[in-house]
Formats: sequence, C-alpha cells, structure tokens
Amino acid sequence: MRKYLAFTRGSFMVGLVYRFGPLLSLIGNFIYLGVAYYLWHSIYKNSDTLRSMTFNETFLYVAIGSAVFILLKTYVDWEVSYEIREGIISTYMTKPLDYQTYILFTSLGQTLMSLMVITIPTLLIITLVFKVAIPLGMGTLLFPLSLLLAFVISFCFDYFIGILAFYTESVWGLSTTKEIIILALSGALIPLQFFPAKLQSILLLLPFQTIYHTPLMMLTKPDQDPQIFVSMLIVQVVWAVVLYALTRLFFEQAVKVLRIAGG
Amino acid sequence: MRSIGEYIRLYFIIEAQYIKARLQYRVDFIISSIGMFFSSLITLGVFWVIFDTVPDLAGWSLMEMAFIYAFYMIAISPMQIIFDHFWQLRFNLQQGNFLKYYFRPLNMMFYYTSEMFDLKGLTQLFVGTALLIYTASQLHVAWTFGRVGLLFITLFSAALVQISIVVLAACAAFWVLDSYPVLGLAWRLREFAPYPMSIFDGAFRFTFTYVLPIGFIAFYPSQIFLRPEEVSHLTYFSPVIGIGLFALTYWVWTKGVNSYTGTGS
Repeated sequence: MRKYLAFTRGSFMVGLVYRFGPLLSLIGNFIYLGVAYYLWHSIYKNSDTLRSMTFNETFLYVAIGSAVFILLKTYVDWEVSYEIREGIISTYMTKPLDYQTYILFTSLGQTLMSLMVITIPTLLIITLVFKVAIPLGMGTLLFPLSLLLAFVISFCFDYFIGILAFYTESVWGLSTTKEIIILALSGALIPLQFFPAKLQSILLLLPFQTIYHTPLMMLTKPDQDPQIFVSMLIVQVVWAVVLYALTRLFFEQAVKVLRIAGG
Repeated sequence: MRSIGEYIRLYFIIEAQYIKARLQYRVDFIISSIGMFFSSLITLGVFWVIFDTVPDLAGWSLMEMAFIYAFYMIAISPMQIIFDHFWQLRFNLQQGNFLKYYFRPLNMMFYYTSEMFDLKGLTQLFVGTALLIYTASQLHVAWTFGRVGLLFITLFSAALVQISIVVLAACAAFWVLDSYPVLGLAWRLREFAPYPMSIFDGAFRFTFTYVLPIGFIAFYPSQIFLRPEEVSHLTYFSPVIGIGLFALTYWVWTKGVNSYTGTGS
C-alpha cells in the first residue's frame, strides 16, 4: 500500500508543475456554470419546484456535477492504451507491481490535484458568484467517501477501455463513446429525477448513476434518512468491487494476446 | 501565386491519397464514427429530457431547438472534417517537424490544413443534415431559392466562426509551451452555441455575442429560418463576423509562422 501511495504523491506533484492549465479549466468551468445557471433559470421560470427539486438543488447538482466531471477525467484510458501500443506495459511486468493498482493510485494523485485546483474553487464560485447556498447535513459528511467510490467505479470504465487497446488501435472512438454513455446515463448533465419515470428506474439499476447521481444527491439533499445514504453507499461498494474484479479478469485474458517486438 | 482553381484541384488530389491511406484502418473508422454519432446525439437527448418537464425554453419549442442544433452540427462540421490537423499543431511545433511546411511553394495554411481529412466528422455532417431537413419540414419552413441561398451563406459564415475560434486557440502554441488548455477551452465553448441566446442576460449574452461570438455559430443565423418576422438585426452581421474573424485568425497564424524559430536541431 505504501509503495503505491508514493505514486499518488508523485502524480500529485507533477500536477503542481502546470499552473496555467487548471486556470483555463476553471475559466471554462465558470462559463459552463453560467450557461447552466441561465438554462435552468429559464426552465424554472414558472415553477418553484420541478420533479421535487428546487432551482437551488438542481443548479447545485449540475454545477457540482461539472466539477466532478473534471475530477474524474484522468485520461486513464488514453494512458493505458498508449502503454499497451508502445509496449511500455512490458516493463511493469518485470517489476514487483500490480499494474491495475499502480494506475489506480497514479490517477488518484491527479484527482486529488484537481480536487484542490478545480473542485474547491468551483464550490466557492457557486456560493460567492451565483449566491447559491450549499445545504449541510449528514450527506455532506458522506460526500467525500461517496466521491472516492465514484472515482474507483469511473476508473474501472476507463481502465476497461484502455485494455481494449490490446485488440483495437482506436482509442478516440471507444473513449468518446464511453464518455457519452456515462454522461448521458449517470445524471452528469441533467439530474436523474428529470428523466421519464420508466427510464429512471432502469438507470438506477445500472452502474453509471453511482458515479454522478449518488454523490450529487448526498450533497444536494443532505438531510435525508441515514438509512437511504447507507443503502446508496452499499450499492456503490458493490459496483466498485464487481467492476474492479471484472476488469482485472479481463486484463489477465487480454494480456495473453500481447506481442511486443523485441529491441 | 497559384490560382484558387489550382488549389482546389490540389486539395482533391491530396485528400484522395489521404483517404486511401486511412482505409487501411477500417475498424478504427467504424468505431470512431459510432463515437461521433453518439456525441452528436447527446445534446439532443438533453433537450428531450428537458422538454419532458417543461413545454418550452424561453419561448422556443423542442422542434425549434432541434433545428438550431441541426444547424449547429452542420456549422461545426468543416472545423472537424477539414481543419482537424490544427489539434496537432502544438506537437509539430514542439518536435520541430513544422519546419517542413516552410519549404513548399504553397500557402502554408493550405498545406498544413490539407494534411488531414477527418472521415469520422462526416457522420456529424450527415446526422446534422438529416435532422435539419426533418425539423424544417416539421416546422413548415418555406424553402424559396432566396432562403436556400441564405442557408448556405449563413452556414458558411457560421463555419468560419467555429474554425476561427479553434484555429486561433491552436495558434497559441506559437507563443505558449503548454497550449493544450487554451485549445481545450476553445473547444468546450462550442457546446454552449446551440442554446437560445435569449436565455442569457447581461455579461453572458454580451460575451457570447461580441467577445466569444458563439451565438453566431447557430442561434442568430437560424432565426432567419425559424422566426423570419422577428430576426434580430445582429443576424445580418453574421457573414461580416465570420469573414472578419477568419481574417484575424489568418493574420495571427501568419504572425506565428513568421516568429517560429524551430527547435534548433
């Protein structure tokens, strides 16, 4: 465990080198927040609550969702597929390292970096510029834990796409398709409450909602029955474990087709 | 100086060779096209979910929003299909292989642009065109010769706006080492183009109209076809904005090209 945490620290430090990037990401996110603010403002023009969500709750959900999106975008799929195509992956096999754990902890460092430079400033923008208060409660305390689980689940999807590079050269198409599916079905763009009821009940059975919907609900409606929070967390843990194990099995299968030119 | 006709002929020859070479990677083409197809539809999905809850958005119906979005998809396609090479400008500059573009008797922007033709972008163009035709017929847009002419002019200038924004951002690589964030931001801006500018007020509407004129990629020009009786006078400026912005971009590109000193090896 300790040796992997060293990788987390390393990639966190690398993140510190680039200061210009986060600033522009933050500007981009600020514009996005503005667009979301006005968009939902005009949706809420004639009503105080829609689908049992107030304007404040919906805006908070969407706004934090955009920060979580940047947080989870660690380009693991690109990195893994690059290392496979270039044959760099073989060097890990000779080291006393578990590849999946190594990648997980490296990307955790990046995520922690964006948590500091993107997510926290975004929260400040939400409260100070858009004057939307963040409610506090039990859910607020559980949010970091839920976010960590969301990170592991999102990592599994990225890692899976990355390993597909053992079979195909195209990362752009696979990565884009994966991202679109997750964004559309997880509540990242629109709170799941707004989806038609039938679709909503299907989406709640899929793993995607545990990446955005679960942590975002903890933050936007933090004073629900603790029982609800516990069951949400259990669903996340189950998906995290299942997906982590499945991608691990998939890697062991896929690595058999690996042929690397000598040299 | 070569004539425009000569350049067009040359472009077709270069692209024909490029496409032949790309056809080796068929799986890549299919997967990328699927990715493109899904990413074209996501915003439409967002609209669909929103309109499941509310009947209109600032007075615009789902069908009208879909028309604006179709216009948008077509308008951003030339950037995707023809100008895709600019995504790699920063690598070419850093690695020094940009120098080769100085040694051909061709316009440098033309030569650089011609080296890539993004086939997957055609998916977006087709989806956009199909959606435009469908929504226009649902909305009973009366197509006269004049209107069709206007459609081409407005699409052309909207495409120039999108191209200019991204190419300008790519040109940051001439002066800034880590220029990807600039490009990423410029690319992200386009996502905000298909929303009615009338939902914004104050600083945001001003910015999207005059500073980062993404309103001209879809919303302002499509008003001509959706609400001809209440077209904002700004709409008629769209060709001026498109051509003006592209001229500025070309000027910045030329500055960058002239200031580039290579990598020294």
